[in-house]
Amino acid sequence: MGAGLSGQRAALAAVLAGRDVAVVSKLHPLRSHSGAAQGGINAALGPEDSVDTHIYDTVKGSDYLGDQDAIEYFCREAGPTVIEMEHFGTIFSRSPDGTLARRAFGGAGFPRTIHAADRTGLALLQALWERLGTERFTLYEEWDLTKLVVRDGRVHGIIAFDRKTGEFEEIAAKSVVMATGPFGRLYGRTTNAHSCTGDGVAVAYEAGVYLKDMEFVQFHPTLLLESGILITEGARGEGGILRNAKGERFMSKYAPHVLELASRDVVSRAIVTEVAEGRGYSGPWGGYVHLELMHLGREKVESRLQEIVDFSRSFAGIDPVTEPIPVYPGQHYMMGGISTNGQTETNIAGLFAAGECACVSIHGANRLGANSLLETLVYGKVAGVAAAKYAETAPQPEMHAADLDAAVAPLRAWSSRKDGEDPATLRVDMQKTMEQYVGIYRNEADLLEGLKRIRAVKARFANIHVVDQSKVYNVNLTDALEIGHMLTLAETVVVGAYARTESRGAHFRTDYPKRDDAHWMRHTLALKGPQGPVLSYSPVSYTRWDPKERVY
Amino acid sequence: MPGDLVSAQFDVYRFDPAKDAKPHFQTYTLKLAPHTPLLSALLQIRAEQDPTLTLRYSCRSAICGSCAMRVNSKSRLACETQIGPEIAENGRIVVEPMRNQAVLRDLVVDQEPFWRQYDLIQPHLILDPKKPMPEGRETSMTTEEVERFKETPRCIACAACYSACPAVSVDPGFPGPMALAKLYRFVVDPRDTAHQDRLLRIQPGGLWTCLRCHLCTEACPKDVRPSERIRDLKEMAIAVQGGTERGSKHAIGFKNNIRDRGLLSEAALVRQTSGVAGMIGQLGQGVRIYRKKPEILKKPHPIEGLDEVRKIYDALDTKEAPP
Repeated sequence: MGAGLSGQRAALAAVLAGRDVAVVSKLHPLRSHSGAAQGGINAALGPEDSVDTHIYDTVKGSDYLGDQDAIEYFCREAGPTVIEMEHFGTIFSRSPDGTLARRAFGGAGFPRTIHAADRTGLALLQALWERLGTERFTLYEEWDLTKLVVRDGRVHGIIAFDRKTGEFEEIAAKSVVMATGPFGRLYGRTTNAHSCTGDGVAVAYEAGVYLKDMEFVQFHPTLLLESGILITEGARGEGGILRNAKGERFMSKYAPHVLELASRDVVSRAIVTEVAEGRGYSGPWGGYVHLELMHLGREKVESRLQEIVDFSRSFAGIDPVTEPIPVYPGQHYMMGGISTNGQTETNIAGLFAAGECACVSIHGANRLGANSLLETLVYGKVAGVAAAKYAETAPQPEMHAADLDAAVAPLRAWSSRKDGEDPATLRVDMQKTMEQYVGIYRNEADLLEGLKRIRAVKARFANIHVVDQSKVYNVNLTDALEIGHMLTLAETVVVGAYARTESRGAHFRTDYPKRDDAHWMRHTLALKGPQGPVLSYSPVSYTRWDPKERVY
Repeated sequence: MPGDLVSAQFDVYRFDPAKDAKPHFQTYTLKLAPHTPLLSALLQIRAEQDPTLTLRYSCRSAICGSCAMRVNSKSRLACETQIGPEIAENGRIVVEPMRNQAVLRDLVVDQEPFWRQYDLIQPHLILDPKKPMPEGRETSMTTEEVERFKETPRCIACAACYSACPAVSVDPGFPGPMALAKLYRFVVDPRDTAHQDRLLRIQPGGLWTCLRCHLCTEACPKDVRPSERIRDLKEMAIAVQGGTERGSKHAIGFKNNIRDRGLLSEAALVRQTSGVAGMIGQLGQGVRIYRKKPEILKKPHPIEGLDEVRKIYDALDTKEAPP
């Protein structure tokens, strides 16, 4: 499920293992959100760098919530993964000596971010799709996922509908890999595409799959002010600096050693604090600070940050060669997702998950820049291999007519109502709630209020109304399906955030500002219960790195 | 920064095959800041006025290629088109689906022909088993080799070029600008081992159908400049094949005509392109043209200032063309 980098890499691995593979996606694979990743993909390929340093940086970046055994595997696979993608045809940027060029990124000890200008995701997505295109598989393009069929503790397939015809189908499968990407659209101010609604995560949760660490939401420091479009961390990696309205390079107060290249949670909180304390600029879209690239010179900015230059010019009317870019943090990445182990297995036999929709956990409480593209490919491959192996011996899946009826009935009810709640209104109400009450700085009172409000929106969803009666490409029906999925997930985020009475990585509680390893060095697990998510906790695996205070 | 709000009228193409016998336009009006992207305006119409208005969209930042459509007759990305300049120029915004692809509903088109053409150019590295990739490390590639890709890696497959292409509309077998720009990307890739085969295979019915109108380059939101890459492919194809393919003979004949006389001798061009046998095949058409324009059989006299024309050719033949 899903045809971004994780889904495609899983499909490739499963096809090469000789299995009959279907790729189901709500977008054409080349339109997947993986293509929007800008800055790069980490691999310790530089002569001064080492896999151990990459592991350490990732563990530290995770604020010691990442599973160290998984992180070790992940970082060891980085080099071979990047090389394989180069051999598949990825057009990476090069150093003058012909090797892969590397740039600096936040929270990294050495420049280890391999990149393709500032469109690395697009470059990888093209190369992988073109490589996968030489193999045989079935593509279900623009299909919406409505249900994961689970019986007797194992997967039997999925139910989805073809947007072009509106027809529902059961797709029986011995194994299913969820690779449906993020759910950043829980928030209005996000770098995520409109399609990032967490369908696979929600559908899995509804089927009894554990979700992990849902409260950890990464806010990227530099979103273009009004539109929320991402300005890559690579802009700071190339030497971009942040200044407040007093002209101060304020990161010197928050991260004296590495300044703008501190970890994302640190930089985002710094910007929010500067603005809240009156040292930001203010405008019709709220407070902001400046990201300056002017001192880097036209040549460097236009060649290495080409997309950023275009975005700034098209979407903000700003030329970063000569003017500062107005930026403010916003939602960017979900560390949490479908709970898996290092083999991408879930608690349901035959269900695997990889990429942003999954939580191994590599990123723990805070993901380092350029580790996400790596995760999609490393764990996409693991999932494809594991799903293929499982399918070798798994019994035949059984689809019952009742499964289809049960999946279709609620959607039919949404369309047959005369009146009811409008999906667009519910989406705005949810997004406002998440931003106001479950944002960068959190506290008990806000989270309780947020939970109350999310549950109120959820109650209204029971009466959702789809106006559009057409069977052909009914995006109104898709809207309704997506808001339902997002509300399910929003509740798990708020409940997890409320329960975690400490501050760690991206989860910052003003009422519990310290990290509390004695109680909270553990993963949050959420399972669907009759009255909402039921929480439990699981230990963090750690091997070599004892928790230390995190200073940048 | 926000200016005053403008009243924006959107005339949007509507067609639902399930209930409409033929398409019609529907008018919506919104008050918006001039820098509002068209996609935001259309989503606002969906949210506030008409949830049945149907379009493809996803990233809203010009990287996923979903929201290409025709805006005041030009194929472009809705997310990257600000409404202010459109209204200033046309008084309203006419929004239609892309061309050269059948309409599924409203602004959503069937992209199957577009993707098929992309698949047909074999968009993947073709490797020679005798020349394996270096084991355990990347292929070495100089910055100059990377620069040869030009802007083609920026392509987001939005199909705006395909929609704008008149050659596609008369010949659906023509690969179209995106597929040809993609072909160029593989022909200049130092890792690919099938450059010659690719150039030979694309010529009949492919490369030379391009009309050189540059509408694709005008439509492309990522500055891929497909028409320039098609020109590069033509040059490479002539170099590989020696200019014996019909399309290349036409191009070479055209060039020689102008160099020799400064004017086109149409009859001579037919002979140079198709040979004497080919001329006989086109006799009927030739007679029809001759009746209207008898001078086509005369060799044109060299124009005045032909020396200046030749100087241009000499300069182009001896120097690298400017980038």
